[in-house]
Amino acid sequence: MNTLIIISHPEMDESSSQQFLVQSLSDPSLENVTIHPLEKTYPDGIIDVKKEQQLLREHDRIIFQFPFYWYSSPPLLKKWQDEVLTEHFAFGYRGNKLKNKELGLVLSIGVAEKDYQAGGQEGFSISELTKPFQAMAKKTGMTYVKPLSIFQFPYKSERDKMTLLIAYQQYVTLSKPDALKSREEWLVNRLEDISYETLTGENAVFIIDQVVELIEDNRMELDELRMHINNFHD
Amino acid sequence: MDEQEWIQVELKRLFETSQDYKQKALLMAASDLLKEQAIRKEQLQGELDGTLWSPGNWSM
Repeated sequence: MNTLIIISHPEMDESSSQQFLVQSLSDPSLENVTIHPLEKTYPDGIIDVKKEQQLLREHDRIIFQFPFYWYSSPPLLKKWQDEVLTEHFAFGYRGNKLKNKELGLVLSIGVAEKDYQAGGQEGFSISELTKPFQAMAKKTGMTYVKPLSIFQFPYKSERDKMTLLIAYQQYVTLSKPDALKSREEWLVNRLEDISYETLTGENAVFIIDQVVELIEDNRMELDELRMHINNFHD
Repeated sequence: MDEQEWIQVELKRLFETSQDYKQKALLMAASDLLKEQAIRKEQLQGELDGTLWSPGNWSM
């Protein structure tokens, strides 16, 4: 799967969350991911529509990554939508170039998660507030992927940041980033490629082998249990 | 100490000795995933036991 991450942020270099996310992807195993920062590519705001449409054609999963300003994206991403998603390309007669691709959102949000619900400080959920993006996916025949919402990044503990790093890597590379089984396979692949240059602890190779084996044994047991349960209901 | 516990201890030790931030995150994710699998196994075992002992199935 090829993933295109379209980042829109007026001051990307000043944003700790955006820098953290971009750094998370500087890994050779994530070679099928293209990072495309809009404001850096088009500092004068003039978008090369043909080039953008070509980029879209070349990727299977399109991700909009941006700070959630006033319940929407920064202005350049809206301009990008207005200019790039044209009739006969994205919709209308023969406008099927995005059909069956996936659309995902990576949102950095300054307010706490609990406030995005009826009765909370913001009053509406993220699912409600992102309706225009869902409608865009629907109109263009794309599959909308559950967003990765990052609430209050600067307040996150080191542990939570590490969890986010992995969740983000999985979000941009996995076809089912939520499923336990896909995360197991992903993790096993990553562990098998782990660099022992930075992992010098005693018996590191042996321990990593054991971890991989245990993950796989657990999977076999889980599948077996599921099979027994299903058999019983047949 | 069973295998799961032993692995958790060893992963924690590797986490502390690793010199790379992303690698640390990966080791932590491995530790979390193993815990998640253990919980899922417990849940499925519970579901299986519940299914076997359900009075609705006694006549089968």
